[in-house]
Parts: sequence; structure tokens; C-alpha cells
Amino acid sequence: MASEPAGDQQRIELEAEQRQVEEAQRGNLDAMRPILERYAQPLYGTVILPRLGNTASAEEVLRDTLATAVEKIGRFTWQGKSIYPWLRQIAINKVYDVHRQSKRSRRLADAMVHELPVESDPDSHADAQLIADQERRAHRERIAETMGLLQERYRTAIELRLVQELPREECARRLGVTIGTFDVLLFRAVRAFRKHFGDRTAAGESTGDHTSEERPS
Amino acid sequence: MATDDDDILSGPVPAPDAEPTAAERAHAKTFAELVDKTLSGRTPPAMSADDRALLEVATVIRAASGGLALPAARQGALIEDVLRQAVGVGAPRGAGASHASGITPIGRGRARRWAPWAIAAASTLVAAAAIAMLWLRPPPKAAAPVAAEVVPARWTSRPTDPLIGPIPREHAGEAGARIDYIFADRLDGFRERRWSPGAPGSRGGKP
Repeated sequence: MASEPAGDQQRIELEAEQRQVEEAQRGNLDAMRPILERYAQPLYGTVILPRLGNTASAEEVLRDTLATAVEKIGRFTWQGKSIYPWLRQIAINKVYDVHRQSKRSRRLADAMVHELPVESDPDSHADAQLIADQERRAHRERIAETMGLLQERYRTAIELRLVQELPREECARRLGVTIGTFDVLLFRAVRAFRKHFGDRTAAGESTGDHTSEERPS
Repeated sequence: MATDDDDILSGPVPAPDAEPTAAERAHAKTFAELVDKTLSGRTPPAMSADDRALLEVATVIRAASGGLALPAARQGALIEDVLRQAVGVGAPRGAGASHASGITPIGRGRARRWAPWAIAAASTLVAAAAIAMLWLRPPPKAAAPVAAEVVPARWTSRPTDPLIGPIPREHAGEAGARIDYIFADRLDGFRERRWSPGAPGSRGGKP
């Protein structure tokens, strides 16, 4: 069966990760290097950046997350699963620390946190790749839901410029408008997206409970 | 009254075919240029709070579509930086490194961070102690008044009038004799002062 070699591979990786964690806990912090190299990208791309929307801040938060992980590795208890959920939780707490300083962007963070999949809970036994994939899918669904609330032309403007990343001239040509008009369309589209994103969050705030997340630090 | 900020971030969004105002066109153009720069990886550090909020939304959309990854070089530098900070500068890299000798405890890195603060705190304490000592030290005792030395008039500089007296006209030309007289008088005083035991400047003996 095809899944057996994959399962073996996953078990081997998990054992290697366990050895690296134990080595780091014995004082050889350099043993953390393969772990950080493996998980930096999923943390940045699926946990931090989608919640911050700012690449410079996201890099800073990633750096803080990895530094905290290295510093507090002695407190981590191996429970037969990847260290990734623990790292992810540190990253989420760091993101909240950033958003707490900015009332305006807090709604943006909440919008993502309320949609966290159950499988990404630190107590679950899902592996790192699965968690990252689920989280990525959840972000996409959330974006798609909000896009579905926009008017057709706004949705197209965002799709062409921000998802397909086409040049402004090409976007304007496809929509049959001048570049100036396309600029206005995109401007309004992003405003409308933000408004809907925030409105859904405000509705979710009454049921969501991101404060119950355990802080690993 | 609504502010511009309210209008842009939370005010109603016009329909796609609504005629834009000149201000909206200008703002839209600025935002479009910011998006241009961001897509080419040159996000300007300075921008208005409104533009930043909208640009963050644009980045969230892009991130969710998978279009944003941390460049490998940036990731490598970042991890290297984190580990260097944690294990200390100069720690050997790689699995083959000597763990026992090369790794610096993380506490040392922390101590390195605190060192400037510790030095500043110690300097402040020393300065405060010096000021407190200056402030609290007992006032200096008033110096005992020194008794004025009693000096006989004949040892001091003084007019010669009492010695010479009025000079009659017929003796006006005998100035040399008067000078000799004055000199002899002053020499007496000098000798007395010079050779009297206990007198200031005295050599304490007979000539």
C-alpha cells in the first residue's frame, strides 16, 4: 500500500525530531536548527502572515517565535507528536501581542483566529504538514467566503490584481476600463473586503473564544 | 462628525460604477502604487495608517492564495541569527560540532543583553551615593579665629614725621643727615626684630 511507506517516513521523521528535541533539552541548542528550518516556512506562510498582513512584522514575529522556542525548549514535553503545534501556539500568541498594540488591526487577527480548525489544537495528534495544510485551506475558505459577499466587479478586481498578480494595465484591459478607473475599483474592492471581513468577525466575537488558547510560555 | 479615517476604513463603500471624487481618485492612485511596490517586494516603510490597513488586507488575501513565502535566504539568515543569539557568537555550527565545548548556555546571551543595563544601574547608584554624601555630610567646623599678632610699632612701616619733626628752613639742606637718622632708627627696629627670641622671623640669637 502506498500509505505504508509514507507512514514509515513520517514515523522516521518524528523519531528524528524527538532526538533533536531531547538533544536541545540537554543543552545543545544547535540541535534545534533542523526543526527551525523545517517549520519556519509553514509558521510564516500559514500562521503569522495571514494574521498580520504585513511582511516586515511577520518576519519579526517569526524571529521572536523561533527565539522563544529555542529559549523555552526545556519546558516542552514530548508527547509522541510533532513539536509544530507547540511552535504554532507560540506564534499565535506573538501575533496577538502585536495586534494588542493596534486596535485597528485587531479585528483582522480575530477574523482568522475564529476560523481555526479543530485539528490545529495543540492537544491534537495531527502531524505538522496536516495542520499546515488544514490551516491554509481554512484561510482560503475564509477569503473565498468574504469574496463571495463582494460585488462581481470588486471580486474580479481583487482576483486579477492580488491573486493572479497581473499588472494594472492588464487588469484594466480585461475589465475594459482605464487604469485610473481600475485603481478606483481596486481601492473600493479592498475597502469592501475589509469591511465584510471585519463585520463577520464582529458577529463571530460573541461566540469565538481565542483567549482560551493556552500560552506555552 | 465622521473623519476621513472613518470614511475610508469604515464608511460606506460606493458602488462600482459610482463616479469617484477627485480625492478618491488620488487616494486610489496612491494605493495602487503601494500595491505595485508591494507586489515587487519593495513595500515602502512609510505610509498613512489607512493605506497600511488596506495594504494589510491585500497581503492577507495574497498570503491565503499562497503567493507569499519567506525567501530561503531570509529564512536562513533569520534562523542563523536566532541560534547565534541563543548559543552565543562563535558557537560552532553543524551536527559535528563539539557540543560540550562549543555551546554557550542561553543564560550567557541573556546576561550579555543585560550587561549594559547593569552597568548603567551601577553607575547611577554610585552617582546617587556621591550626591547623598555631599548632601548629608556634616557642615565644616568654623575655623578658630586667629589672634592678630601683636607687633610693636617700631617694627612696622610708619611715617617719619614724629622722628624728624618740622624741618627749619636753615636745616633744609641737611637731607643726608636726616636720611641717616631715619636709617639708623629703622635699623634698630630691624635688628630688634631679627634677633629677638620669639619674634616673627627671628633667628633667635645674638648677632
